[in-house]
Amino acid sequence: MRSSVILRAPRLPAVAFLVGFSVWFVGCGEGGSASGADGVEVVPVGYIGPLSGGAAYYGRNVLRGIQMAADEIAEAGGFEVDGRRVRFEIVTADDRYLPYETATAARRLLQQRRPSVIFVPHAGGIRAVQEMNLNEPQFLLAAYSSEPSVLEAGNPLTVMLPPRFDGYQEPFVDAMMERFGPRLGLLPTTTAYGRAWTEHVTAEWRRQGGTVGGDHGVDYNTTTDFTGAVSRALADRPDVLFVGGPSQPTALVIRAAREQGFTGGFLVMDQAKFEEMLAIVPMAALEGSIGVYPQADYPTEGAPYFTERYYARFGADFQPPTSEVAITYQAVHLFAQAMQLAGTTTDPEAIRAAVGEAARVIPDELRIFEMSGVTGQGHLARAVWAAHILDGVFVPVEIPLPSGTVIQ
Amino acid sequence: MTLFFQQLVNGIALGSVYALVALGLTLVYGVLKVPNFAHGALYTAGAYVAYVVLTGLGYPYVVAVVAAMAVVALLGAAMEWVVFRPLEGKSPVHAMIAALGVLFFLEGAADVIWGPDFRQVPTPLDGVVSVAGVNITEQRVLVVIAAIATMSGLYWLLKRTLVGMSIEAMAQDREGALLVGIDTRRVALITFAISGVLAAVAGSLIAPLVLVFPTMGAVIVLKAFVIVILGGMGSVPGAIVGGYLLALAETMAGTYVAFAFSELIAFALLVLVLVVKPTGLFAKGV
Repeated sequence: MRSSVILRAPRLPAVAFLVGFSVWFVGCGEGGSASGADGVEVVPVGYIGPLSGGAAYYGRNVLRGIQMAADEIAEAGGFEVDGRRVRFEIVTADDRYLPYETATAARRLLQQRRPSVIFVPHAGGIRAVQEMNLNEPQFLLAAYSSEPSVLEAGNPLTVMLPPRFDGYQEPFVDAMMERFGPRLGLLPTTTAYGRAWTEHVTAEWRRQGGTVGGDHGVDYNTTTDFTGAVSRALADRPDVLFVGGPSQPTALVIRAAREQGFTGGFLVMDQAKFEEMLAIVPMAALEGSIGVYPQADYPTEGAPYFTERYYARFGADFQPPTSEVAITYQAVHLFAQAMQLAGTTTDPEAIRAAVGEAARVIPDELRIFEMSGVTGQGHLARAVWAAHILDGVFVPVEIPLPSGTVIQ
Repeated sequence: MTLFFQQLVNGIALGSVYALVALGLTLVYGVLKVPNFAHGALYTAGAYVAYVVLTGLGYPYVVAVVAAMAVVALLGAAMEWVVFRPLEGKSPVHAMIAALGVLFFLEGAADVIWGPDFRQVPTPLDGVVSVAGVNITEQRVLVVIAAIATMSGLYWLLKRTLVGMSIEAMAQDREGALLVGIDTRRVALITFAISGVLAAVAGSLIAPLVLVFPTMGAVIVLKAFVIVILGGMGSVPGAIVGGYLLALAETMAGTYVAFAFSELIAFALLVLVLVVKPTGLFAKGV
């Protein structure tokens, strides 16, 4: 009789699975937009990025900005497109930061909900779905990555949201060499992004007449103890130390360097954010550093309104808003504006064509950044500010657009 | 030369943590022949308990470390009782898969409770000791001293107490131990609890130096596996020597070759040992 018991056991789960599967399968047919209970049309917007694993913290920051904007729109009763009221529903998929998972998740999301806009927050994932977004069903790829390679593909349905990382090196090197001296030490993270940054900063430092020590970079995500790498980098006696990776380990590198007596400045990769590092090291440890401007106090007229709404929503004690949150938040409002202008929520080409105009006409209270349009390659053009910490104060440093940029 | 001594000190501090984590792993392997992948999660649990007791409840650091040891010992024992005991006598593949399952479960649990955020554990010892140009933070001094004390305690336990001798007997021959009247299930439970204590000491000691997040144990447990294979599966002195050896190899290779290669060197060392002495440096003749 034993064998019959074994045979019977899996039946119930199997039935449950079949029922569940058919419900899901029937649900698949709908796709695209649907009307909510409040009579407001619900338009799906996708997010495919890390929600678990080592990069989950980053991914959830990105998602927080997207969700916050969608919630605001819904609370305001939606926005109007071609005579209909519309709001966004954010549909998410976890790719654990793996490009091949991004592609798989995109296919699934398109099959199930057919979003016309999908956010992807890492260059590998973005490249994995470029091309795919041009085939039916098309979608507008909201690329959250500062890798210029995202633009080089020439993908007509991509909008790159953050500033390009290759704009930072010239002003950063200029400011740091003048203040601290000509010797640069290298201690960045060794991810593909970290290496690309290292190459650019090394070339720029040499171009401006400085000397560059050996590369003592380590993988910030897998290193338990940074003291060894820091000791080695400091043995070259650098005036300026190039560091950066995720904010929190970057702060540990900076702390280790100060503990070992380093008195120079830190040139900080744009991946790391001062406001997050300040939770781990005091302001005094960051003195002289140059890096991305803290979002909460970003030097534009609209930034304080965003910061106020952010803390009102999440509470005054919540972690400070980083640029990941602000840029994706801005993008969702921007796409809503573009859909209004284009008169469609489902045609990615028409929406993409309206993004440049949307960037110029978006209402002031929703304008965190001074946007002027979209470049020919699909990059959201705006004024970019970095911060140099001098006597404990963030001093704005302007990052110019690449020369010859054409804005549409 | 200052750099050499600086890196020697750095390597010894790191090696202390490696050795503690590897010890728990090797003990469990010795007794149960289970490669306990979930050991990294016990280390993470130790760090989180210290974080909660220190930051959430406001008790002093010493209390936090002791609390971490107690809680993670219970967690380790519960793991043996709930997960590994029912698999007794089954193929080791089952235990291996179960261990992976426990690892993912505990990582997921930490993510649900505390979120993916990086937490920081404050330390009362935030000064720096400086001798002839070589710097070491006070917390690292504590790590080294506490690790040596814990290892001495473990040695005493294994060599001088009945429980310890039962563990060793079971590691040498499970059936033999059973025949001479040792309650192997009880010993397995105790071994898991001890491995929990060792993981908790490592996790709570290093917590103020690093960041506490759900997957923090994943990297270190991989290193611990390298160490255990390096030193000989199930060998206690092997885990200690292997821990310091690996940390020093990483630090020195980083210094005199390149830090980008330090991980590579750990695994190159592993391959070398496997080729020259496949049973590990300290394996007992079987």
